[in-house]
Amino acid sequence: MKSIFLIDDDPIFVYLTRRIIASIDRQCKINEFTDGDLAIRYLEQICEKPELLPDIIFMDISMPVMDGWEFLNQYSRLRPRIKKDIALFIVSSSISPQEVERSKSYRAVSDFLIKPLERGKIVEIIDSARETAG
Amino acid sequence: MSKREAKRPVSEEETEQRRIAEQLDKQKAFYENILNKLPTDIAVFDADHRYLFVNPGAISKEEYRKYIIGKDDYEYAAYRNRDVSVAHARRAKFLEAKQTGKEIRWEDTLTDPQGNMITHLRRMFPVFDQNGELSLVIGFGIDITDRKLMEVKQAALVDQLSKQNTQLMDFCSIVSHNLRAPLVNMSMLVEFIEATDDPVEQRLLISKLRPVIDNLHATFNELVESIQIRQDLEIKKENVCLNECVKRTIGGLETEINKLGARIETDFSEVSVIHYPPQYLNSIIHNLISNSLKYHYPGRPPVIRIRTRKADDKIVLSVEDNGLGIDLEKHRDNFFKIGKVFHRHPNAKGFGLYMTKTHVEAMGGRIWVESVPDQGSTFFIEFENRIKQAS
Repeated sequence: MKSIFLIDDDPIFVYLTRRIIASIDRQCKINEFTDGDLAIRYLEQICEKPELLPDIIFMDISMPVMDGWEFLNQYSRLRPRIKKDIALFIVSSSISPQEVERSKSYRAVSDFLIKPLERGKIVEIIDSARETAG
Repeated sequence: MSKREAKRPVSEEETEQRRIAEQLDKQKAFYENILNKLPTDIAVFDADHRYLFVNPGAISKEEYRKYIIGKDDYEYAAYRNRDVSVAHARRAKFLEAKQTGKEIRWEDTLTDPQGNMITHLRRMFPVFDQNGELSLVIGFGIDITDRKLMEVKQAALVDQLSKQNTQLMDFCSIVSHNLRAPLVNMSMLVEFIEATDDPVEQRLLISKLRPVIDNLHATFNELVESIQIRQDLEIKKENVCLNECVKRTIGGLETEINKLGARIETDFSEVSVIHYPPQYLNSIIHNLISNSLKYHYPGRPPVIRIRTRKADDKIVLSVEDNGLGIDLEKHRDNFFKIGKVFHRHPNAKGFGLYMTKTHVEAMGGRIWVESVPDQGSTFFIEFENRIKQAS
């Protein structure tokens, strides 16, 4: 059973992404976080419990309280303690090339995806996570 | 014959010498003419910084030019009854050129008798003889006042351009983040609606469109308003009484203030009136007070202190609260941007401070914040405008 974390403050986007994921894989477990701070706190708690850690993280950049960049800073520090190989995707409505460039400076980031998130792309990501896990 | 022969070379020599002397005079006149006609200052010094030559570009009056030969700048300053500091400065430069043996250049600015600032680019370079002894120092200067003035104008222009560029970047980021996001949601929702035949499902999806459209509308309106504010250079300013302005805001926020038990203290003893567009000032005060109320510390009745003080020819308005505060280490860059929210609050949209910044900057002012998390925030606004004293 795959586990996915959605870190995004936009309820519509989260709702639609949930539906897409459910249509691909009903078994998928999804956790929602409306900002980076809530997500990083939870990850800190569970970093040594692979059974609770996600396979995939989809994360927005523009969020209240703690934005995606700050999340990435803290996540990068936490990463050595995380007992699982997690694929992290930035999912942003921004089309700014500077942000794409900036995201490349984080080794934890697998890819920078621009919204809307297409179903085909999610299928691809879930499949490849399945391969590495399986 | 031998006498004749002996005489002939002498006469030839004489003619030759005369010819050479004439030639030299001609050449001297030729070079002097060039040096005198050059529209730059030229001065030649001996190894002890005494003048060997100056051209009219450096000293226009012939009398002074004649005087200065063989003298130094101290004697010349005394002769012309001038401040000795110029002589000091020039001696320092001379010694620098002499000691380093290299060309030096610098800019100096003087005030002419009419009170205009005149800037010269000056260069001095040492000339050495075959034995490596300093024989001359040549100095020359060109008037670069025009260029200097251009530089000042250009610097102002660059400053203005970089401000506008920042605004443009902000605008691009708004379009990219705040306008594109709801558009993406709308198109995704529509795709889902088209993909299903179930009317219940369709109604559910359609109901989700409304808040997205409202959000897009709100962002769009804020954006249009902020552009209008930045472009409206003709907006009328008035003498606005701060006490009345705050009273009006408190009236509008009465319910919230009573509910939270908030106390609002004002001190406008230093400055009580600001010359400003009234609707902008009202909006600024309203946004800052309502922010302080919105982000109060749970269980702690808000205390908001609003005061003004004079700082040189400017006015600084500060709004201090004892609320949630904010971690500026993390958020300084984003603080006044549109759609940026720092607390989990249902009504936080990130418009207030963006508009406040727009209202302040459109009038040439500045806004900044100091804050300690869990203790409170203080917003400062510096108004460019002086108060117009009601006469």
